[in-house]
Amino acid sequence: MYVYDPPYNKMRSAEFLDCHVLVIGSGGAGVRAAIEASGYGETILLSKTIAGKGGCTTMAEGGYNAVLREEDSCEGHYEDTMKGGAFLNDPALVNTLVGEAPDRMRDLLTWGAVFDVTDCSEVAQRPFGGQRFPRTCYAGDRTGHEMMATLMDRLASSGVEILQEITVIHLFKDENTVTGALGIDRKGGLLAIRSDSCVLATGGGTRIYDISTNSSSGTGDGYALGFRAGADLIDMEQVQFHPTGAVFPYDARGRLVTEAVRGEGGILRNAQNERFMSKYDPERMELSTRDVVSRSIATEILEGRGTTHGGVYLDVTHLSRSQIECRLPVMLEQFLKFGVDIRDEPMEVAPTAHHIMGGLRITPDGQSTVPCLYACGEVAGGVHGANRLGGNALAETQVFGKRAGEAAGKAKKRVKKIQKKEIETQEKRLSGFYTGDVLPTTVARSLQVAMWESAGIFRTAKELEKTLEVIKHLSSLSLKASGESNLAECCTVQNMLTAASLVVKGAMLRKESRGAHVRKDVTQTWDAQSSPYGHTWQNLKGSGIEKGGKA
Amino acid sequence: MKDKGMKEMSVRVSRFDPGEDQAPHFQTYHVQVNEGARVLHLLHAIHEEHDPTLAYRYCCGSGQCGSCAVRVNGEPVLACMEEARDGITIEPLELPVQKDLMVDLEPYLAVIPALVPGEDFVMPGPDAVEAIKPLRSCIECLACVSACPALKVISFAGPTAMREDLRLALDPRDSNDRVTEAVKAGLFTCTSCQACWKVCPKDIQIPGKAIEKLRALANKKGLTLPRHQDVEKLVRETGRSVVRTEPSFLEQVPEIIEPDGPVKATVGFFVGCMYNLRLPKTARDAMEVLKRNGIRVIIPKEQVCCGSPLIRTGQVDFLDTLMRRNIDAFVFRKIDTVLTMCAGCGSTLKNDYTTPFRVMDINELLTKYGIEPPARLPLKATYHDPCHLLRGQGIRDLPRELITQVVDLVEMPSICCGSGGGVRSGVPEEAAALAERRREAIDETCADIVISSCPFCEFHISEHTDRPVKNVTTLLVEGYREKDRRNAEKTT
Repeated sequence: MYVYDPPYNKMRSAEFLDCHVLVIGSGGAGVRAAIEASGYGETILLSKTIAGKGGCTTMAEGGYNAVLREEDSCEGHYEDTMKGGAFLNDPALVNTLVGEAPDRMRDLLTWGAVFDVTDCSEVAQRPFGGQRFPRTCYAGDRTGHEMMATLMDRLASSGVEILQEITVIHLFKDENTVTGALGIDRKGGLLAIRSDSCVLATGGGTRIYDISTNSSSGTGDGYALGFRAGADLIDMEQVQFHPTGAVFPYDARGRLVTEAVRGEGGILRNAQNERFMSKYDPERMELSTRDVVSRSIATEILEGRGTTHGGVYLDVTHLSRSQIECRLPVMLEQFLKFGVDIRDEPMEVAPTAHHIMGGLRITPDGQSTVPCLYACGEVAGGVHGANRLGGNALAETQVFGKRAGEAAGKAKKRVKKIQKKEIETQEKRLSGFYTGDVLPTTVARSLQVAMWESAGIFRTAKELEKTLEVIKHLSSLSLKASGESNLAECCTVQNMLTAASLVVKGAMLRKESRGAHVRKDVTQTWDAQSSPYGHTWQNLKGSGIEKGGKA
Repeated sequence: MKDKGMKEMSVRVSRFDPGEDQAPHFQTYHVQVNEGARVLHLLHAIHEEHDPTLAYRYCCGSGQCGSCAVRVNGEPVLACMEEARDGITIEPLELPVQKDLMVDLEPYLAVIPALVPGEDFVMPGPDAVEAIKPLRSCIECLACVSACPALKVISFAGPTAMREDLRLALDPRDSNDRVTEAVKAGLFTCTSCQACWKVCPKDIQIPGKAIEKLRALANKKGLTLPRHQDVEKLVRETGRSVVRTEPSFLEQVPEIIEPDGPVKATVGFFVGCMYNLRLPKTARDAMEVLKRNGIRVIIPKEQVCCGSPLIRTGQVDFLDTLMRRNIDAFVFRKIDTVLTMCAGCGSTLKNDYTTPFRVMDINELLTKYGIEPPARLPLKATYHDPCHLLRGQGIRDLPRELITQVVDLVEMPSICCGSGGGVRSGVPEEAAALAERRREAIDETCADIVISSCPFCEFHISEHTDRPVKNVTTLLVEGYREKDRRNAEKTT
């Protein structure tokens, strides 16, 4: 262990740890990666929260897509995913997803996951949007929670060292490769971890929007960390707005109302009692893809056919009470808490920022464009293209978590160096927060409102430029930490600003409407399949949009 | 937009920084929150507008991750789901505090057992899945661990670990012997007070649906505690869970007791083993109150133990026989309302039996039909909520309505006295430690007498306090006697 004097006396000197694989993030992808990596050498899992409680996997309600029946096929799952993703998906990643989702489901079952089963003891499946076959496996409407509980059980016996409530603020680099990460604990103590390989599994970032389904950790940390470490990020403009988020009370706006509600037969109606989906997608109706349903709902509301709370009705009262109680218990319980009995009255819903389809560019093994840095789960891009199908994210966490953990585990052991200067730079960054003057929460609020107003479902170049100016201004402010416990919060808000800027710049680069990304100021003559464009990309050196598309 | 429907609230928050403070202290904040805001949003508002150093945990904000449990006015809740109200007090869970509202969850999370897959994979069938699912909705918020009174006096794995033990015992994929593990981890320390269930945000009925089921599985393995086995033997042989040492209540009373005045209602009386054999005088007091208040009481003599001591300890083989005998005793007499005065029997008849008649606790009956006002006695009383009355039957205010007609009432916190769940016989040192805590709480009230409405609580607490412990109906009888005495004085 090397010794040095910290230059700023407010900071405690950093502690050092070494390991073979460092996994950052404790949601479904991170824990799956750590379980896999632990077979290859000493593995550390860094969790920003108490492991198992943070991230969005545990909140995921609806399900996990996997081809399990003879009547279904991986080709079908592939085609549904590509079509749903407006053909912006990376075909190799999609092939991997659909091919391995069933195996990873079997892992979960072996480790004790309690999914709903049919009378013949087969995993039950239900229909989800944009799919030709009911292939969404589920545990009531708490599927992600069931998966996390199972994964945490497995993790406990894997020998992985779990470091709780540490926020990663920097990825170390030596020459071109990532050599570890610097974390900060609740008391402001620094922890430097050297590793042969590093897996980013930090989840998404729709907390950059005012209305979002994400947990507190959905602040885009991984996009920012990866970007600063020099990785390529693709398709960051592709933000999924889930069609059905709660609209009241005010502070609970955006809370996810699972797609399983529509999967079970829920019907959407506007304030005039019209089943409006017949205007937008008469064939698939409520079970159209999320991008289409979100735009339909947003249009109904914008054109004055919304409810007084600014939503539309989502109704399950025609279903039997036992079906609601058995298949949608969490929804029933949550709405009851807010004074609505969904067995007797309709829910009110509106779109809410849910998932970022873009992210670090990866190979099917989760390798990013920076050596020794891997990414899996929502922080990675390319699997879902321009719109994710419900049920594909949970599958993604397992398929690519396992792959990234394995690839990182197989990485060569090496002499890992951390430059003293890098730690000093970070200490300087942190101590700067003590003399700042704007609270991080104030900046976050302004950012969230600006993003929601001008970089949401419908976009124009003018609005995007305006938003970028807001982000630039907010980034120029000097964030203030009131104590050691606020340092991580300041870093997180900086990450939010970086992630937001990536989303807005991506949206400016893509001068077409594609999937979830809608440019109202662009008239185009092509459909998704014949688009001249491929991925947008951004890294420290530049940005652009790939030409030649998939057509 | 945010101003619409804002309201101001004043709240007290427990603050504690172990590095700086000797002990936690309360700080009051006046905050603006939106209409319908939850406790979590109130904490956000304090964090954003008053004190950025306030430490509290949260993640999902939608009741699914179990990070944000705190106590509001003493009761564990999820901050993200509990509506914020003016004047509330917010404290951390009763676990080691790290800072302010953050507590150390890890040691308690670590003892929740994990599935160990066996060699051969067996997919659980629909019946197993249906049995396991209700146990799986736990979000490990540890509200139950915070609320469990047993954990305050004895070390055991805690309610949610027991819940997971049963889940694993029911799962064909698990390879360990969970029942034996659970016994070692303290399966018999639960008093079945139900505090864990009542604070569970997912409404998991841990005592009834997990602990008693595990105890039944333990019974099949021969792991029932010897003292519990003795009780079961006694019930089989005598129909009673208590040994006869004096003439029983049933031997002392006629089969029908007619009221003094006009008949307001007719009920069948289920006396229960404790009032029948240990506290028959208290049961006679109850009869006197009923007689005076127009209730006609029918007392079938062939009634037996309700089976509660067997259910709580997992010895359920003989249960059906008891249930049938008791139900028949009342059905043969065409009784449509059965009265209980033992909280444990009442809870069992209401929750574990399927009865063709209505079951009413004596506090319900007396407040429903109203009572002749007794004289006031110059005493200060405190009331001990029996677990099986408060949580088992949801009866809180009714006994207080009766008590305050006779004496002044000083409240104390509602906490288990340690007599239930077979703990008094099975783990006596735990039962004594819990009763000792009751004694301290009673002392703090400076009350002259302790009132309760359960023979187990009355008997157990009376062994641990120097103050008289009386049943609600005994207090009423004393009020009536005083009234009669005063009236007699007036006429002479």
